[in-house]
Amino acid sequence: MTNNTSPKRHMGLKASNAISNTLIHVLLIVISIIWLIPFVCILLQSFRVESTWQVGYVIPQKWGFDNYLSLLQTDFKRWYLNTLIIALVNAVLQTIIVLCMSYTLSRFRFKMRDALMRFMLVLGLFPGMLTMIILYRVLKDLGLTQANAVPGLILVYVASSGMGYYVSKGFFDTLPKSLDEAARVDGATRFQVLYKIILPLSKPIVIYTILTAFMAPWGDFVFARYISFGTSAGMNVAVGMYNWLNKDMIGSCYTMFCAGGVVVAIPVAILFMCLQRYYVEGVTGGAVKG
Amino acid sequence: MATVKLTKVKKIYDNNVVAVHDFDLEIQDKEFVVFVGPSGCGKSTTLRMIAGLEDISDGTIEIDGEVVNDLQPKDRNIAMVFQNYALYPHMTVYDNIAFSLRLQKIPEDEIYSRVTNAAEILGITDYLMRKPRALSGGQRQRVAIGRAMVRDSKVFLMDEPLSNLDAKLRNQMRAEIILLRQKLNTTFVYVTHDQTEAMTLGDRIVIMKEGYIQQVGTPTEVFEMPKNLFVAGFIGAPQMNIVNTELTLENGTYYVSPFGVKLPVDGEKGAALAAKKVKPGPVALGVRPEHIVLTKDAENAIPCTLEVNEMMGSELHLHVYTADETRLVVRVPTISLDEQTRKGLVAGAKVYLTFEGKVMHFFDPESTENLLN
Repeated sequence: MTNNTSPKRHMGLKASNAISNTLIHVLLIVISIIWLIPFVCILLQSFRVESTWQVGYVIPQKWGFDNYLSLLQTDFKRWYLNTLIIALVNAVLQTIIVLCMSYTLSRFRFKMRDALMRFMLVLGLFPGMLTMIILYRVLKDLGLTQANAVPGLILVYVASSGMGYYVSKGFFDTLPKSLDEAARVDGATRFQVLYKIILPLSKPIVIYTILTAFMAPWGDFVFARYISFGTSAGMNVAVGMYNWLNKDMIGSCYTMFCAGGVVVAIPVAILFMCLQRYYVEGVTGGAVKG
Repeated sequence: MATVKLTKVKKIYDNNVVAVHDFDLEIQDKEFVVFVGPSGCGKSTTLRMIAGLEDISDGTIEIDGEVVNDLQPKDRNIAMVFQNYALYPHMTVYDNIAFSLRLQKIPEDEIYSRVTNAAEILGITDYLMRKPRALSGGQRQRVAIGRAMVRDSKVFLMDEPLSNLDAKLRNQMRAEIILLRQKLNTTFVYVTHDQTEAMTLGDRIVIMKEGYIQQVGTPTEVFEMPKNLFVAGFIGAPQMNIVNTELTLENGTYYVSPFGVKLPVDGEKGAALAAKKVKPGPVALGVRPEHIVLTKDAENAIPCTLEVNEMMGSELHLHVYTADETRLVVRVPTISLDEQTRKGLVAGAKVYLTFEGKVMHFFDPESTENLLN
């Protein structure tokens, strides 16, 4: 009896799978289109040369690179360089600090370790904005605001980086401790264990850490705006370009703003496209790596 | 090649749990010493203290006469094989074995010759360019041994290296470790919970329980003269039967009366009891399963009921219970039984047993110590 009914059941299952797969794909395509519309619009506007003002249509009547060339006539280069320096330096320093912190908390047992981890968890629950005024005060006293906002911002981002150890620690916890021990018996120092054994096994989490450390200052607005405090030389792209959106400038700068947006998005998009496999593994790594 | 000396070594964890109490042991050069005991007895902790992977709370550890208490593992000149192999997954077998040599900055051509030589001894030459994930459990363990071999270390430490392997492979690897030991001719410290491994591999066995050494001796010593009831039960499979009974002395001959059957203690054991002037009284009588004899003569024998008959091939393990429901295990060579007797050994069958007096063991029921110590 089972033999008579099973092919029908099999067909039914196949058909229902096909229907649900189709529905899911249609839904995903619709969501993707909705999500992509703003990006496509910005890209198209950045190539529009017939007017610099907002218009009621999307596809430009005249195409050109004028807006991109106009960027070079502004402080955009400076802002872009500032942002790149902040993001790159932060990516390097924060990655080193986060990985060392995570490895330490994963592998070493010391007094107050649990208390420290709990303390950092609680601290992390407070919004960073709360510290803004006092940070500004401190940085101002140190002379690291306005034109010197770049080192000031690097200091702010790097100083708090140890708190972001959770994901990498979770990943390191999944790597057997006996690997460390074997390497130590083999003659490696603790540092050699980290960079010869643990880090090569943690590529996804290292890349995830670099990407997040790069991304946070790349798109930051609030801190950067406060610390640069109206001085163009200390601004990052987000703050600098925001000034183009005020009432007086938007008419002449709208398409240039779109071109700037595209230029800002390019490095991040390239990074993500190259490293997305590792990024996904990194995000989920701490939870599922066995 | 070196001696290892542990003096009053103690391990107390942060939560005040004492894992190892005053551990004293001197391991001779080229000796193969096995730490054996149940889970949590402190055997692995002791090994890890020798390796430098655990701090020592008290006492001293010397390797080749040098106190190594404060030395990092890398500075102790030891090699270690781990239970879960601990191979570096991102490196090939060759790189795994060469790792320690590269850290020592040994020239690459010498590394090549050492690695290929070790691989040849272990039969893993064909796998040198593979990653560990492409190897079977046995091959991985060989790589782990190879990694330890190439270092020319003073002491070779092994932490339950065979316990992740299946039974057949474990037997094979056990034999290979014996051969390897002959080739390496170095000092070995080996940890296992398997008494068969301990008996077959060790020159000396250290039996541990709850952080204390119970007995140190050669396999024959610990088997034939267990120091206490724990060792008696731990060494030997199936484990020794323990029966609480009375030791009596009549006309210069000792007797025991297990289950109301009076049996003389003859031979060396009787003489040893007499020489020690052991006082008659309550005694925990130990009899190994192979020293219980099936008899057809109901006179002066212990009547039992057969509960389970385990056919092991060359022998039978008979699980029986007496009239007062005491469980005993009897080991009977199949060759010693005729066809009819063997067929009659089914659950519920009545059997009669007697103990061989010359191989009985006598323990103090209070202190659990062997009365002949």
